[in-house]
Amino acid sequence: MKDTGTKLLTLTNNIETIIRGKPQEIKYVVTALLAKGHILLEDNPGAGKTVLAKTLAQSISEGVADLHTPGGGVAFRRIQFTPDLLPMDLIGSYIFDQDKKDFVFKKGPLFTHVLLADEINRASPKVQSALLECMAENQISAGDTTFPLDQFFFTIATQNPIEMEGTYPLPVAQLDRFFMKITFGYVSEDVEFDIYTNYLDIGNAKNTVKQVLTYHDIIQLQQEAENVYVHPELVKAIVRLVQSTRSHKEIALGSSTRGGIIFIKCLKAWALVNQRDYVIEDDLRALAQPVLHHRLIFRNHEASRTALQHIVDQEVNRLAKMGIQSKP
Amino acid sequence: MSMISNQDRFQQLLIRLVLVVVPTIIIAYITLRFVNFSYTALNTAVISQAMVFALGLVLAYSLYYYGARLLITLLVLMFAYWLAERIISRLPGEFDVFYATARFQLYSTLFIFGWVFGFLLERVRWSYILLFSTLSAVTLISISSTIDISLSYILLHLFPMVLYGLYMLFLSPLLTDRIEMNLKKSGKLVVRFGLFVLLILLAFAITERLFKNELKAVEKELAARGTSDNKGGSKEEGSGYDDRYGLMEKDHDGYRLKDTMKVNTKMSQSDKLMFCSKLDNYFPDGSPMPLYFVYHYLTKYDVARESFVRDVNVPSLEEFDVDPAVLPMYYSYTDTSVIRKSMARKLRKVVDAQVYLSSDSWKHAVLGPASVFSIQTIPVEKDFQKTFTSAYKIRSYASELNNAYFVYNVSADPMLAAIQEQRHQELRSVNDYKRLDSTFCAYYTQHPKGGIYDSIVKLSLGLISKDSRPVEKVLAVRDFFLQRNENGKRIFRYTLKPGAVDDPNIPSSKMLYDFLFRTHAGYCTYYAGASLFMLRALGIPTRFTTGFAAVNRSDKNKGWYWFYASQAHAWTQVYFPGYGWLDFDMTIGNEDQQEAPKPDGTPPLPPPDPWLVLNVKSESVTVVTKQFDATFQQLIFFDTPYELSTARTKTIDASLCRVLYDKKDTTFSAILPGDSLIIVSYKDEAKAVPKPIKVMSIEKLVDEFPSPIVADEIHIRPRVKEEKKEDTSRSPVEIAEKKITWQAITWTATKVIAWLLALLLMLPLLYLVYRLMRIALAREPHTRADEVYRAALYRFHMAGIERDNETPLDYAHAKVDPAFGADFEEFMRLYLRLKYAGGSVRPGDTDIIDRFAKVAGPGIHKKNGFVPTLLSYFNVVRAIRYFQHPEKTDYENQSI
Repeated sequence: MKDTGTKLLTLTNNIETIIRGKPQEIKYVVTALLAKGHILLEDNPGAGKTVLAKTLAQSISEGVADLHTPGGGVAFRRIQFTPDLLPMDLIGSYIFDQDKKDFVFKKGPLFTHVLLADEINRASPKVQSALLECMAENQISAGDTTFPLDQFFFTIATQNPIEMEGTYPLPVAQLDRFFMKITFGYVSEDVEFDIYTNYLDIGNAKNTVKQVLTYHDIIQLQQEAENVYVHPELVKAIVRLVQSTRSHKEIALGSSTRGGIIFIKCLKAWALVNQRDYVIEDDLRALAQPVLHHRLIFRNHEASRTALQHIVDQEVNRLAKMGIQSKP
Repeated sequence: MSMISNQDRFQQLLIRLVLVVVPTIIIAYITLRFVNFSYTALNTAVISQAMVFALGLVLAYSLYYYGARLLITLLVLMFAYWLAERIISRLPGEFDVFYATARFQLYSTLFIFGWVFGFLLERVRWSYILLFSTLSAVTLISISSTIDISLSYILLHLFPMVLYGLYMLFLSPLLTDRIEMNLKKSGKLVVRFGLFVLLILLAFAITERLFKNELKAVEKELAARGTSDNKGGSKEEGSGYDDRYGLMEKDHDGYRLKDTMKVNTKMSQSDKLMFCSKLDNYFPDGSPMPLYFVYHYLTKYDVARESFVRDVNVPSLEEFDVDPAVLPMYYSYTDTSVIRKSMARKLRKVVDAQVYLSSDSWKHAVLGPASVFSIQTIPVEKDFQKTFTSAYKIRSYASELNNAYFVYNVSADPMLAAIQEQRHQELRSVNDYKRLDSTFCAYYTQHPKGGIYDSIVKLSLGLISKDSRPVEKVLAVRDFFLQRNENGKRIFRYTLKPGAVDDPNIPSSKMLYDFLFRTHAGYCTYYAGASLFMLRALGIPTRFTTGFAAVNRSDKNKGWYWFYASQAHAWTQVYFPGYGWLDFDMTIGNEDQQEAPKPDGTPPLPPPDPWLVLNVKSESVTVVTKQFDATFQQLIFFDTPYELSTARTKTIDASLCRVLYDKKDTTFSAILPGDSLIIVSYKDEAKAVPKPIKVMSIEKLVDEFPSPIVADEIHIRPRVKEEKKEDTSRSPVEIAEKKITWQAITWTATKVIAWLLALLLMLPLLYLVYRLMRIALAREPHTRADEVYRAALYRFHMAGIERDNETPLDYAHAKVDPAFGADFEEFMRLYLRLKYAGGSVRPGDTDIIDRFAKVAGPGIHKKNGFVPTLLSYFNVVRAIRYFQHPEKTDYENQSI
């Protein structure tokens, strides 16, 4: 545990040297990573989404990747999504090998450990679904062959706010596959000043991100996250919470059961990120918005801001009022 | 929404129906029952009324539970109402329509009430307070219209309401949530509710104990006011009976006329039956001739109090002074000096009367036509005991010239006019008062001097010369009150509310002056008071008399008169040498009064005539044969009382007899050896009754009494101790002294409310004590941590740092520790680990808990100061916020 804590602290600190003033968002991203999930970052261009994704990948990648030898390092790929991108640009395609006189599969950029899918909503739905399929199934089908991906496959997708021009909004069914969706928001004045100063100091010199964790570390951390203890009362609270989203008057579509399971997974990882091996009520409150909000369809704009928070507050209050239930 | 969610919602609805709607229906049923009971007019079918109410309630509750819109449902409801009314109005038959409409209106009102309540209960959080107060108000109004009002009665009927209010108060925080019903939780809930009610009742019990005396006094006062209040007749006057304004006052033994009397701005009356009487006084043609029933003579005018009062040193006052309540049954008391004191010789006659006193009547003075000289107590027949509690026969000397017709109301009846004229003719023989005893004359003609009184003297001297015959003077005063203006209308008139402004501080003499010279309107006390002054100014001995005016109601019970409290009256009596005191009632008849006289009741049967009444002490009682031996010394034999020189013992046969204890029927077994009894035996053909032989001594006669003596009535005299008797005789005075004013009642009420408020204010502090006690009692680390956690949350909340929707950890980190630095966060982390990690206690944990438990309180004291911290616990609003947290939940988020 102590070891795990140090590792995680190193990782987050490492990212924080590049991404200033966003400790919470960094934790979310790490949480999604440890929960074996994927994360969607949404904000206006230039808020630091891509940098965050890149930094995370660099913190754990060992530069050169050999995907098929475990422990051979963490591979990182970045795909810039554009409207004219085709699925085969992602997954690769069969090309004719002159020597073998046969079609061989040329693997696309999806065959990686950490994937940065930049501006995912600018691509056509066809491409989006190709990506989302492999996110969900952890495998890639091309023609009649299925290529499995590594057990460590982490996607960081970024998207611009859907109101902006030239975007294809992701349907809720597809959004559901992302464990978390977080927004970035601008930093405060102090932090922004800090960022600029930092930039000026270094000049145009390339930012160097140290690699702090290895592939094995990540796998180990993911396993540890699995082992985090969730109290039965908290599970009950999550059940109530998910049920309330379904019966709430202002919510048209409530959370799915998958949403609930993902919520529990994320809670475990989040507890680990926060140096704990058990989940507490605070975790519920911290994660409900990023994990659940994008799974729901609200009846109006006002509800989208308050309804979920309201349900969460209610559950958390209930937990806070509850005494210690199980005494050994 | 999925099927499961709907099922769950339905289940929740059912739970709510059971928890909220059913108790509401029960409480509404209780209220309806009570209202129906109080207003018999509504008394149709309580069950169906409650059903209609319940239907509305359940329907509305369910509909609004599923999110129905108020406006639309109301429109539908109104349409249904309109339709129903249309259908009803088309019903054939006029009576049917009327009946159906009345029924429909009642039911639809109840339905709408149920509907509205259902809506409120479902949608508005504090609606049960409104419900509770509405029902309580309805109950209170119903109570106020019942006759027997008392604090315990009110409390008894309000108790279900209070219980309901408490129940809802307890339930309302739970209702905001999904309610999970299982055995364990319901059991816990019941126990908690029980404790809650117990706590509240405890508070009330302490209050009751603390203010016992005040409350009792208030209750007594309320009862006294309540009984005289709210009776059909007095409603037109719009004011309740108020001792200050009435001719009568009440003490523990019933109503009596006041000993002092003055004029007031208004008079209040009540319609209670005071007594009924059989008066053997008839006109020569056989029609009954009523007489005034005299209570007291108010001979003196107290200038300081501006009131007519009873006096002790009155020359030749023939008031018959005996307390009938202490006379043993069948015992008589005669005072023959009455005839001498009344100084009347001419036109005297003896009038017999029986008086039956109702339970509301004052029983310690004789009521009868003037001048009573003999009294004998008689029993009340069994069937009439509900109405009348005691009775006596009286014999009085009455003047032939007296009768109880309003002097000025006789013109309509030529016979009465003739009788009056005859009377005046007779009295013209009296020339003056010169031969009268000068002290007597001076006493009865004294009147105050100066100011207003002088103007009255001037007025009366202007009416007639001082040398005229007395009767002419009396007639002149009468004519003064009877005078008419140029339109032929009477100037003086009768009214119960002569005061233009209802101000009790206006002096009595001023009102009298206004009556005579300006307003010319008043009630009997005005007329009697004014005529007293005028007659005395003319040198005529006059006295102020209080009593009852008999109203002759020609009905089948000839000679019976019924006296109600509203017949209490005041008039003047004028002395004529030789004739004695004669009634001269100057009061103008109330021309406005349209009210028909009250109907008579059934007169009580006269008691049988006894031949023997024994005042005995029982010796040995044989229950089987219903016989006992009795020793006696006093007896009444054929209406003649005797006292034996030595006590005799006789056997009494009580097998066929009626046994009474304190005037109430009881059984033979109530007789104990050593009891003091009155034994009555009737004259009866079947019985061997010895003849009363005058020449024989009573001892010999007693020896010849049959053995055993067959008793027809046995009165057991109340077994009261001597001290107690003294007590009852003294109590009227005490009560009069302890008379409670409204200010006192208000003061008591304020004290009680203040005390309850103080208890309420104490509650947050008590809760803290409770929490700290729980910490002290907790041994096991988990429990201890839990208690410390709860106490800390409460203390920090009350210290002014309130937790919003953040988690306790955030709260500790962001709000509490910056303010108090009590290491709350450290404790919270430990606590959350204990709570959610499901693990065991680590070494050092107990230290953290103990340290924080010690530090938390002093931390607050240090920061806020001890006194402000203590004071902060009196912030009830803040405490309520603590318990009501969270303030809003999704169940309330539905739109209306």
